[in-house]
Formats: sequence, structure tokens, C-alpha cells
Amino acid sequence: MNKKKNLTFKQFLDQEHIAGYIFSLPFTIGFLMFMIVPMGISLYYSFCDYNILTPAVFSGADNYVKMFTDDPTFWQTIGVTFYFALVSVPLRLIFALIVALILLKTTKATGFYRAAYYLPSIIGGSVAVAVLWRRMWATDGVINHLLGAIGIETSFAWLGNTKTAIWMLIILAVWQFGSSMLVFLSSLKQIPASLYEAATVDGANKWQQFWKVTLPLLTPTIFFNLVMQMINGFLAFTQCYIITQGRPMNSTLFYTVYMYQQSFEFYNTGYGAALAWVMLAIISLITLVLFATKKFWVYDGGF
Amino acid sequence: MKKAALFMACALAVTALAGCSSSSSTAETTAAAGGATEAAGGSEGGEVNMIMTWWGNQVRNERTQQALDLYAEQNPGVHIEGQFSEWSDYWNKLATSAAGQAMPDLLQMDYMYVDQYVKSGLLLDLTPYIEDGTLDTSNISENTMASGTVDGGVYAICAGINSPALLYNKTLTDSLGIEIKDNMTMDEFFALSKQIYEQSGVKTNVAYGIGESWSAYFVRGLGFSCFTEDGTGMGGSAEEWVPFFEVYTKGLEEGWLIDPGVFAEISVGSVEQEPLVYGSTPETQSWCAFYNSNQLGAMQNAAPEGMEIGITTWPSYDPVKSNYLKSSQFFSVGATTAYPEEAVKVLDFLTNSSDANNILLGERGVPANSVIAEEITPQLSEQDQEVTRFINEVVTPNCSPIDPPQPDGSNEVYDLLNRTVEQVCYGQLDAQTAANTFYEGAVEIMSAK
Amino acid sequence: MRAKRTIGKIIYHVLVCGFGLIMIYPLVWMVMSAFKPTNTIFTTAGQLIPETFTVENYINGWKGFAGISFGVFFRNSLFISIVATIGTVLVSSVVAYGLARCKFRGRRILFVAMLLSMMLPAQVLMIPQYLWYQKLGWVGSYKPLIIPYFFAIQGFFVYLMMNFIDGIPRELDEAAKIDGCSYYGIFGRIIFPLITPSLITGCIFSFMWRWDDFLSALLYINESAKYPVSLALKLFSDPGSSSDYGAMFAMASLSILPAVIMFICLQKYLVEGISTSGLKG
Repeated sequence: MNKKKNLTFKQFLDQEHIAGYIFSLPFTIGFLMFMIVPMGISLYYSFCDYNILTPAVFSGADNYVKMFTDDPTFWQTIGVTFYFALVSVPLRLIFALIVALILLKTTKATGFYRAAYYLPSIIGGSVAVAVLWRRMWATDGVINHLLGAIGIETSFAWLGNTKTAIWMLIILAVWQFGSSMLVFLSSLKQIPASLYEAATVDGANKWQQFWKVTLPLLTPTIFFNLVMQMINGFLAFTQCYIITQGRPMNSTLFYTVYMYQQSFEFYNTGYGAALAWVMLAIISLITLVLFATKKFWVYDGGF
Repeated sequence: MKKAALFMACALAVTALAGCSSSSSTAETTAAAGGATEAAGGSEGGEVNMIMTWWGNQVRNERTQQALDLYAEQNPGVHIEGQFSEWSDYWNKLATSAAGQAMPDLLQMDYMYVDQYVKSGLLLDLTPYIEDGTLDTSNISENTMASGTVDGGVYAICAGINSPALLYNKTLTDSLGIEIKDNMTMDEFFALSKQIYEQSGVKTNVAYGIGESWSAYFVRGLGFSCFTEDGTGMGGSAEEWVPFFEVYTKGLEEGWLIDPGVFAEISVGSVEQEPLVYGSTPETQSWCAFYNSNQLGAMQNAAPEGMEIGITTWPSYDPVKSNYLKSSQFFSVGATTAYPEEAVKVLDFLTNSSDANNILLGERGVPANSVIAEEITPQLSEQDQEVTRFINEVVTPNCSPIDPPQPDGSNEVYDLLNRTVEQVCYGQLDAQTAANTFYEGAVEIMSAK
Repeated sequence: MRAKRTIGKIIYHVLVCGFGLIMIYPLVWMVMSAFKPTNTIFTTAGQLIPETFTVENYINGWKGFAGISFGVFFRNSLFISIVATIGTVLVSSVVAYGLARCKFRGRRILFVAMLLSMMLPAQVLMIPQYLWYQKLGWVGSYKPLIIPYFFAIQGFFVYLMMNFIDGIPRELDEAAKIDGCSYYGIFGRIIFPLITPSLITGCIFSFMWRWDDFLSALLYINESAKYPVSLALKLFSDPGSSSDYGAMFAMASLSILPAVIMFICLQKYLVEGISTSGLKG
């Protein structure tokens, strides 16, 4: 129609903030429609006496009070979860980064190597992994046989010992570093080749290139992986659920598994919801701290 | 600009499409599936669409669906959709559906959950249908009916009878020249475990991690029930629970108790990984396993070649008081079903029809209907015939009525029990402390319910 | 010099190969176990090569349950995973661009909301989500498994792509702006092609996660014939009676194939030729 009017509409749309609203509209709708209501309901449940089968009854802060004053298992699972997350996440990231650097250079076999290193993440939570992992670390399993072969005769029960069992889950988590590796791989390639050329011209060797070019430019991705993996680490569920179920003596009982037991096995669903919200508080605090450190070590970032 | 707009439009279109395509193909399902509540509006006249849910393995899925298809064939206009899940998934899904007031029309129930579901008003009381003859229970024994009865109403019909059964390595005991006799006492069991350990090095697993039925069974032999009659508190006293934990301390002392570390390497309660058949060395093997009678066949299949599995009763200080017949599982009708009458008819069909049971073949346990049970016996496998004999000749004459269904809170109590036993087996608690800790904790759990 | 290089290469391949073998050992184990007779899987778990090869597990597993073959489950899974993945990746890139490049009021709030939505354990949302979808009338259909993903509901992907967009020099946007390009044009012509690696990464992740997801399928799918593979795999085991681990491993081996094939096909786009074209714009 009218050319001028059309133009102003276009101009209206092309304002930075309007464009921003339009681009982020799907998420805004999605969040309001699919997240906010369920989150709200679960927050309400956390203040209720609720057993799934009968309607929830408001009970004030009872669940939270019980958690902090009268539930030793709660504290134990907090300890286990912190230990697991704080050990496995850094290890996992370091592995992922090293392997990504190694597999960056393209040879004919690289595709298959990458697939091989990524595979463990694909089969992640299957029953087969559970069976196999227990088999490997069994008293008469592969690991003890290997130790025997190098002269350390042992029939140590790796999974049956309260001190070592958690490490079997940590190793499993580290072994599944594939997804972080992928993210590293794809952003390593985003680093402009011209920067490396410039560095070579300046006489920097490979090692210096890594420290001066690669690592700084990779810090946003490291930060991204760190935040994501921290969240995942604290919310880890599968490893414990399929392999140890918390055995022996709750030494490997993850927070989320405990929450799940409370919600769906003991039908203390209100209490389970309260546990979840406390975990949300813990994770958001940790994330907040991470974001606060960002300006000290992350190279140029948007948020 | 155009490109971007086009792209956005595409994205939205795909959304809409996805919505459409799935909605058109699933329109009928939604109506049927939400069960009861939604289907009610639709089809008053002819068609009856019902959902039946159960847990189980390939064989059960196959046979049950076949039986349901047969029913649909014999009753034109009735359609029953079978939904099957894995055990723990099943209870998650059922609980979630219950929260949404969308119980299936027909469902498989377990002794462990029936009380909670009834008290929450989620199951249909079958008493009126039994009285008007829609559901014929005349060939089901009183004891069996009692196990599905809560507060005077019948809410669950036995889908198969079984009983606690000690499955043991008959090849091993035969080779040691030991004869295992039924209805053995605790002292005989201790002596036996000790003897087997001394002669072969093979240890004993006393229901580690699966102490639910075992503890109830054990304390019945001491003269009290795990929970009070009305399901609001704990039976017995801390002092009376001591002998239960002494089984483990005695086993530790005498060396025949299997090392608890073994259980970190297996899925506890899984037939295929039970130390009876799974262990590779005598220290990781057990000569027996505390299971149920209907698991004999599965255990024999899981056993290594050349190992024969025998069946006998669990030990007890008073075998007759302890032992009981139970339902391996029940069938129930959802309280919100739109077709109670029709659903009960299906139940009757599954329980009393020889056509149906010739398909099901006692896969869930010995059929509750004694006439049917007798009828299908010749068609059963050798092991299942042995189970039937065990139920009829060994357990039935030497048992007492089962405890009322487990009350709300029992899952948590049993979890505490298993964890306490774990601590005892790791040598961290003596029997007296264990009994005190357990009893105090259990009382607290029950009082919070 | 040349010899040294060759030796270096050999060492590289030997090391990478050797370590790679450790990585895929469990997978090989699973595939091999699936060729063992079911009752020997656990008793011979220590050895890799079956004494007697059998394909019975594959045949038996493929048969599925109550007349529904595994082919049906595969078809269902493919449908759900592909559609949801397309939605997630496309819409997430749009949202990511808005959050990364446009300044507007509420941007921070949206970002925080996105992070928060990742911090609540999925298990605790099961019941509330079920109740909500039931209100919407979606229970019993694939809608709850697909439609939310067309609204970038998984913050991970948005954040992933934001991170990539941050890595693209802003000068490119500004140059395009001067040339008269709108924000939409910049996104479509410049940003979208440049974040290909993250789109590919997103596809790989999303496909795999949708494929593995059984929790939502469990809650929302009522018809057995509509089950995805992830849910069907669990039907082989029943702790109360016997489980068919052979068939389960056989089908589990098959079920990772789509993700593996997809990965092998896509991984080269992940790292090829983007870096140089990036700066030339």
C-alpha cells in the first residue's frame, strides 16, 4: 500500500529493542506457558504435606524446618553431591579440553576418533553401562585383574567400600566427557586462523600460541561449559540411580536420588519438592559466584 | 529482512504443523487414554473403550494382551487397550495419573501399594459386584480374598497365588550330602549355613537389601506383626526386634554371612544377578536366596548350566505362624472408570474363564480360582508344576493368614530397615543398637503419616 | 626431520587409538553381550568374545511386545527426536541472537529465567507438568514431547548459541547495518550461517537427549504402540519375574545407531572451513 507507512512499520520493527523482543518472544512464551506454571505448582507443593495420591495440604515451612533440623540423610547427600560435583566437573572439563585439542587436527581417521570419544556420552545412562561398570570394578573384575598383571595382587571391593565407591561414579562421569568436548571442538574452530598466522609471524611457538591465543579466546566457552557442567553435576542422577542406589551406606547417595526416593518411593512428595527448591537455591548461588568471577578471567563477554 | 521473516514464519509453521499432525492422529487416543474421565462423555451407546495397565516382562505382555483381545472378540463393542511398563516406571506413572484423577479402568496392583490406593479412594470397591454375581469368587479361598480386602471392602482380586520360598542350590547341597527339609526352624537354618560354609566356603545371603517380606515373615514367627492391625504404628518393641538383627550378627561371627560389598556390584533383587546364581567364587556365592515361589522358573533359567535350583520354605522360629500364601499381584478397577460394570466383567473373565487362563497359563502365579488352577496344571512347565505342588502340599497346610496390606509409610520403614541391616553387615552396629535405632526411626516415620 | 614427523604421527595415532579403545570398550562389550545366549551374559561378563554366537537376541528383541515390533518404536522415536530437534535448534538460534545482540529491557530477566529453568531437577517437575498438560488436554499425545521445544524451552541451547554469537566480531553487524541491513537481515544473512558449528552441535545434543528421554514419554504416552525406543527398552526387565537382558542389550545396541550415524555424518561440518570464511564475511 502506502510506501511511506510501510517504511515506518519496517523502521519500527528494526529498532534494537523491538527486534530484541521479537527474537526472544518464543522463549518468553515458552517460559510463561511451559515452565512458570509447573515451577509455581512445585514451589507450592514444597510448603505442603503432599503424597501424590491425595490432594496437597498446606503445612507452612514444615518441610524446610524438618530438612535442616531433623534429617541427617539430607546433610549426608549434600556432602556427597558437593564432593561429586566439585571433583568430577573440573576433571571432566580438563579431559574434554585436552582431547578436543588433540582431535582438532584433521586426519583421515579423525572422524572415527571423535566418534569413539563421543560414544560414551551416547550410551550414558543405559542398563548395559550399569552392569558393565559394576563388573569392571568388581572384586574379580577387569580392573583388579589389570592391577594383578602389574604386580599388585588385590581383590579390593572398589564399589563395596564406603571410601572408594563415590570415585567409581566420578570416573564414570569423567569418562563421559563427550558433550563438553564437542562444544570445545566447535568453538576451537571459531578462532580465526589469521590470529594464529599473526602469532607465527611474531615467532610464537605452538605452546605460546596455546597460552596467548587459544586459551584466552576459549575462555567464554570454558565458562559456558563450567556453568553448564556445574548445574549438571549438582543435578546428577543417573549414575547413582542405575549403579549404586546410594550403596554402600548412603556413601554415594546423590541429592537428586534422595529427592526422588522421598517423592516417589516414600510418597513424601511435598518434602521432595522442598528438597528440589533448596537445591535450586544452592545451584543459583554457585552460578552467581561463577558469574561474579567472570570479569577476572573471561575474555570479552556479552553477559 | 525477507529471508528472516520467511525463516520465522517457517519456524512457526512447523510448530503449528507438529501440533496438527500429532493432534489428528492422536485425537482418539486422548479420549481413550485419559481414561475414564474423558471417555465418559463420548460413547454411551455401543462402544466401550477401556485401558488396562500392568507391569511385567515380554511373556506377560504378550499373554495378557492376547487374553484381552480374546475378550474383545467374544464381546463385540468392547475394546481394551493394554499398556505395559517396567515395575518402577509403572508406579511413577500410576501415581502421576492418580494425581491427575485419571486412573486406568483396569490395573494390576501390588500388596505393597493397595492400602494407600484404597485409602486415597482410587480403587473401586468390588463388593457389590461380588454380591450381585458379576464377579464370581466362589472358587477363591477365603485367605486369598482377604489379602485384597481393606477395611471390609474387596478392592483387589488375586491374579496369582504365591508364597515366600527359599530357592537353593540343590546341586551343592546334594553334593555335600545335605538334605533340605521344608518348614525348617531358625536354628536348623543357622546350623545348615554354618555347615555349608565350613564344607564348601559358600556363604549365605539373608535377604540383603530386600528385607521387606523377610522381616514381616520373621517377626510373625516371634508372635507379632511388623505393623499394628490398623496400620498406624509399629508392632512389637525395640527389644522384640533384636533377634531379627541377631541373624546377621551371628552370621558375621560364624563367618557364613556373605560380604555386603558383594551387593554393591549387582542389582539387588534382580534374579539374574542374585549371588545364588551369579557369584564366581565361593565367597561371593550364596547357597540360597529369599525369593517367592513364582520366581523358581526364572531362577532356574538364570542358573549356570548344571545347577539345579530347589525350593523350600523360609526358615522361622515358628514356621506355621510365619508362613503365608500371598498374591503375587492383584487386578483392580480404577475408582473413576466410566464403565465399572464392564471392567468388573473383564476381571471375572481373567479370573474364572478357562479360555483366558489357557492363554495366561499361571504366568502371574497359581490361579486364584482353584478349579482353574487344577485345570491348567498339566499344561505348565516342570518348574511351574513343582511350584503348584509346593504351594498346595507344603505351604497351604502349614500357614497362617497374611498380615493386612502394608500401610502408608511402610516403604520408608523398610528402607530404614534395609539400611540398618547394611550397617549391621558392615559391622558398624550390634544387634541391640540396630534394633533400637531401627525401632525408634520407624516409630517416628509412622507417627508422621 | 621427516622421520621425526612420521614417528610423531605414529605415536599420535597409537595413543589416540589406544585411549579410544578404552572409551568404546563398554559399547563393544554391550554389542558382544547381545550375541551371547541370554543366560550366559552375566556368568561370562568378564569375557568379551562370546563362546557361541547367536542372533536369537536380535530376533527375539525385534519382535517387541504383544505384537508391536521394535520397528514401530524406532519410527516413533525418530519422529519425536527429529521434529523436536529441528524446533529446538532453529528457535534457540533466533532467541540466542535476540539475547546476545539486541539490548532491550528485560533481557537480563529472561537470561536469569533461562538459567533458573535449568536448575530445577526434572523429576520434581514431573507431577506439576503432568497436571498442566492434562489441563491443556495434551496427555496421550506427542504434543508434550514436541511442542515445548519449539519455544526454546531448553535454556542450554540458547546459551550455547549465545556463546557462539558472542564470538562473532560485532564489526560484521555494524558493517552490515551501514549497508542498510536490518536486524533480521543480519541474523539471516550473517549470524545464522556463521554459527553453523553450534547449530550442528545443538542438533547432535538435542537428537541424543530427545532419543534418550523416557520420562516424558512414560508420563504422556498412553498407547503402547506409541512408545519410543527409550521406554520400550526398559520393558525387557522385570525385577519381579525374569528379565531378558540379551534382547535388551541387542535392542540397546541398535538404539544407539541413529545417534552414532548422525554424529559421524555431522561431525565434519562441525569443524570444517568456518574459521576463515568467518572473517571475510
